[in-house]
Amino acid sequence: MTANRGLTDRLIEWFDVRTRHRSARHVLLDEEIPAGTGWIFTLGSVLLALIGVQLLTGAFLTLYYAPTPDHAYESVRFISSTAAGRMVRGIHHFGASFLVVFLVLHLLRVVILGSYKSPRELTWLSGLALLGLVLAFALTGYLLPWDQRAFWATVVTINIARLEPVAGEAIAAIMQGGSTIGALTLTRWYSAHVIFLPTLLVLLVVAHLVLMRLQGSSGPVRPQAGKAFPFYPYQAFRDTVVVTLVLLAVVAFAWRGMPPLEGPADPTDAGYIPRPEWYFLGLFQLLKYFPGRWEVVGAIIIPGLAAAFLALLPWIDRGPERDPRRRPLIMIAVMVGVLAVTVLTTLGWRDRPQTAAPDVWTMREIGGRAIAGYSGCAKCHNETGVADSLETIAFTRGAEWVEGHATDPEMIAPGLREPPAARSEREIAAMVAYVRRITRQPYPGYPKDIETAATVWARYCVGCHVIDGDGGHDGPELSHAGREHDIAKLKEWIVDPEAVDPDADMPAFGDRLSPEQLDAIASFLASRK
Amino acid sequence: MPSTEPASEPSSLPGRRRALALLVNSTVAVIGGALAALLGVFAVRPARGSSRDRWVRAGTLSDLTANVPMPRVLAVPREDGWYRARSRETVFLVWNGAREVKVFSATCTHLGCQVLWDAKSKHFKCPCHGGVYSAAGEVLDGPPPRPLDIVEAKIEGADDTILVRV
Repeated sequence: MTANRGLTDRLIEWFDVRTRHRSARHVLLDEEIPAGTGWIFTLGSVLLALIGVQLLTGAFLTLYYAPTPDHAYESVRFISSTAAGRMVRGIHHFGASFLVVFLVLHLLRVVILGSYKSPRELTWLSGLALLGLVLAFALTGYLLPWDQRAFWATVVTINIARLEPVAGEAIAAIMQGGSTIGALTLTRWYSAHVIFLPTLLVLLVVAHLVLMRLQGSSGPVRPQAGKAFPFYPYQAFRDTVVVTLVLLAVVAFAWRGMPPLEGPADPTDAGYIPRPEWYFLGLFQLLKYFPGRWEVVGAIIIPGLAAAFLALLPWIDRGPERDPRRRPLIMIAVMVGVLAVTVLTTLGWRDRPQTAAPDVWTMREIGGRAIAGYSGCAKCHNETGVADSLETIAFTRGAEWVEGHATDPEMIAPGLREPPAARSEREIAAMVAYVRRITRQPYPGYPKDIETAATVWARYCVGCHVIDGDGGHDGPELSHAGREHDIAKLKEWIVDPEAVDPDADMPAFGDRLSPEQLDAIASFLASRK
Repeated sequence: MPSTEPASEPSSLPGRRRALALLVNSTVAVIGGALAALLGVFAVRPARGSSRDRWVRAGTLSDLTANVPMPRVLAVPREDGWYRARSRETVFLVWNGAREVKVFSATCTHLGCQVLWDAKSKHFKCPCHGGVYSAAGEVLDGPPPRPLDIVEAKIEGADDTILVRV
């Protein structure tokens, strides 16, 4: 043992002669902390730990992530397909939220205890810059999974940037990269998120820490009796306790909840209502109070004034007094700020649109299933086929792709020896609707006559008529067709509209539908009360 | 490890200082270790794609002439992590005239070139390094180390569909 110890000591000595690591350790850890510095001063270390965790997990996520619209979504799904992947992605996702929370707490601590005062103005400003940087991380990282949320939130973000006076269009163009939000947007946000912002972040964190060390910890608001003590291990102990608790909380979140991953980004889905990440909900809510040309007030001017106020705080509140009880104006401003952010975030949170897709299959989707059935899709899309069966397919493509695939399989899957015959536009739309539904919800099973009616509906009626919000608008809505007409009347009408009403615009379907189809669609419509 | 003398300490014994230092060090080590373990597992064990063998349709018996190898190009789905691709694979179907089909991979067992059926000599010939195989896939000449690989096949259904396992 003694021989070992001697060897270890000699090794440490050998390194110290060459690296001076002992004096580095002394510089890093033996900082003098003013007496009376307590638990509240651990928040900066929590941020440092969270940033470290984000950098690490983020770096490892790039092992599998692919920043292209074709593959980003699938690669994120792939990451989430193992327990370790879910954990790493979960820690990165929830860690970002914790980072924002603790940034705000740290900022409040500095404001309330007056730590930004001379000579620490630059420490304060570098801290504010770090806050902005972390929000930029949040914004750019949000797009990367390339799901619906990501895509549409980015549409909103870029449109907000567009509101900026004078340079708005130019800034939006730079953020967007290409002519639409797509491949070029994704690669530049990815580069920003994993190269440019992290570089800036590390530089700013170092600057922030160096400034903090140069000016020393601000400590309690007035000097307290007792001697200063070394950071390590006394303050380091407090830091370790709080950091451990926070990291455990992050892990608990990652363990419990999967980070959300919605359907793949679909630029054609105009019905999607985008929602920002929760810490942007306050800003999101603010926007709603300034409609039209006043939007710039909520989007740019109010947040800009708040940021300017924070940046100028050391020069607004100049006196040497740090005690919050003796700085009532600043404390009122803080309370107003906190209250405003809290209220806006809560309102934004509660003002959730009812987007949850209803569990009921639409007629178009039911019809799409039947159409896919007789279109020969199952030739390849079956358990033993070349492609996954439709029910189990890991559906990661947008609607446009499915549409192209159903229209011209030869183009998408070259080498198919028996490409299915081309289908009508409406049949393809129905199949697309079906495939999108089947990946979210298994087919519940509907009676045969409903399936038959749905096929007719999806192939013909849906072009001009609406039921439950889905369909065309050239003809009258049929959601309540059964209130006014009985089955016999409906049949007559469908077979030959002009025979019932000479002014009818609707074409006759008598020779296009079989008797069973006619029965099915008429009795379905008659049942719509 | 000898520690540098701190400037001053709050009312503390060296024992308390040691205990705190030990606690800090070990907690940091545990957190670092856990993170390293998680990231290590994540890095070295990517998820396996559900890559499985499939039975792919390669034609029907009526397409074939007895004992004449017929080339077929199959589109084989391959999963490479999150990436789904379709590779093309050439096989030769050899029908014995009854209800049995032998399927050879067209990949030469020497260095992976695609062999061709030479109807005149009734041999498979590799254009790259002169490998020659018999109609039964046995090596007759040249560098190939082993016979042509045999692909599992079966005949199914009323129309005698040939299914090949890829």
